[in-house]
Amino acid sequence: MIWPAFKLSLLVVSLATLLVGAVGTALGFVLAKRQFRAKELCDALLTLPMVLPPTVTGYYLILLLGRRGFLGRYLYALTGWTLAFTWEGAVVAASVMALPIMVKSARAALESVDARYEIVSFSLGKGELETFFRVTLPLAFRGLMAGVVLSFARALGEFGATLMLAGNIPGKTQTMPLAIFEAFISGEDRQAQALALILTFTSIVTIYITNVLTRRPTSA
Amino acid sequence: MLDAKLKKEFRTNGRVTLALDASFTVRRGITVLFGPSGAGKTTILRAIAGIVVPDEGRIELGERVYFDSETGTNIPIQHRRIGFVFQDYLLFPHLTALQNVAYAIRSATHKGRRDRAIELLDLLGIVHVADRHPHQLSGGEQQRVALARAFGADPAILLLDEPLSALDATTRLRLLEEIVDLQRKSKIPFLYVTHSPADAVRAGDNALILSAGRIVQEGKPAEVFNAPRNSAAARAVGSENILAGRVQDHHEREGTSVIDLSGCELVIPYSALPKNTPVTVGIRSDDIIISRERIGQTSARNLFEGTIKHALPDGPGVDLLTSCGVDLKVRVTAQAFEALDLKPGVKVYVLIKASSCHLLP
Repeated sequence: MIWPAFKLSLLVVSLATLLVGAVGTALGFVLAKRQFRAKELCDALLTLPMVLPPTVTGYYLILLLGRRGFLGRYLYALTGWTLAFTWEGAVVAASVMALPIMVKSARAALESVDARYEIVSFSLGKGELETFFRVTLPLAFRGLMAGVVLSFARALGEFGATLMLAGNIPGKTQTMPLAIFEAFISGEDRQAQALALILTFTSIVTIYITNVLTRRPTSA
Repeated sequence: MLDAKLKKEFRTNGRVTLALDASFTVRRGITVLFGPSGAGKTTILRAIAGIVVPDEGRIELGERVYFDSETGTNIPIQHRRIGFVFQDYLLFPHLTALQNVAYAIRSATHKGRRDRAIELLDLLGIVHVADRHPHQLSGGEQQRVALARAFGADPAILLLDEPLSALDATTRLRLLEEIVDLQRKSKIPFLYVTHSPADAVRAGDNALILSAGRIVQEGKPAEVFNAPRNSAAARAVGSENILAGRVQDHHEREGTSVIDLSGCELVIPYSALPKNTPVTVGIRSDDIIISRERIGQTSARNLFEGTIKHALPDGPGVDLLTSCGVDLKVRVTAQAFEALDLKPGVKVYVLIKASSCHLLP
């Protein structure tokens, strides 16, 4: 029960972090650098999963992506496959729950980049994409990495929405937090303890490595 | 050559805070754009660069139309080939000096970019800092890297937004000379925004005086600063005459030095500068005395004969523009103006104490 849950959590969290890192940076960029009318409304909608109880978010995800969901029914009709009760569903649940943190961090990090650096880059004949990857992104890197670490943490701890969308199938959709809960209520304290320790250790190592990698150069 | 005609209104809470309505030409050489803060200098640069979109107008550089409100033309900044140099340099902090310059260069190979970047750093005399990051460079070095970077993209015009105002006086003078030198070598027009009249006179081949969004005078800097044609221009350039010249002679015992202003000689307090050093002298317009008759015995060390070109009444006084080898503006009271009958064309004597002449840093 321990290793399958650990491996699944690692897979789910890695994919969710990558997904959220990319999508959250893109959304944060739009919110930070573009002016449009519904901007703050978009920000509020993207923040919603942070405020709502995770079970409510999970419930909405079922309504949207379940076999008979608004979008899920078309997916099912086309492929005969549904996200519900699959490990991919756990990735989606973890991603949706972690996205608001990433969007918030990315928006703040990208807004803090002086827009005149981008103007300089444009004036040197560089396009939007090259400017983003060679100027904006490196300048916002530390802030973005902080967002990624927080998203990783949020995805790793994800419980409620995962339970709703992906269920709690040992060996298939049972991530570490779900396994800990199940071990605990079925009285298997040692297993719960072991799982909790592994989870804690993994978190510490990840955050430590990220901090070292993104440390500001010491020479000033 | 750049031709611009632009209109734009800026509003805060519905009130117009700046109504830009300027048409001007940037010819060969260095054109100085001078004016008080809030006059719209930076906005003009931003409109030329394509960062600010005018409400109305047309901007063209040579044959290329950058912007035309009638045809809806608006070339994006990436395609305008404009070099932009800022007061605070804005070097990319994550790149070294060399990488900053190489970033701008359009060459297919890494070596091509690197060689050209080294060449540009060498041109500006800072090839020895190539591998340092911006935070390890002095202000003057950073601005030189910024200039090299702007040239890396092979611009058709260079816009400089108060490029020297964050630097100390010595570095400023040196870098100003280098900027003039760079313009002569590159042969592209420079549009140089400054609020320093001394820099404007030192570096400018032409000057545009901007006041409240309008060009109130244009011409040679010495003429524009010392002989403003209207009261808006007179207010914008301030009360100081700015004269460029060279140290000609020293009279150490008498405590004076002589400056050749190419047109007349000016006696100033003794200065230890070597002969032939280029200098800029400031004389406040209300420190100058006008007389209708030649005065024989006077303590004033400078006595010039001249004529009045025109007179601009402004508030309680009158700004007289006199020509006496060089142009000088002289501020007198309305009463003196009446009593001496100082009409244009009248012959006058101009008296300036040596101690009223000071060297500008």
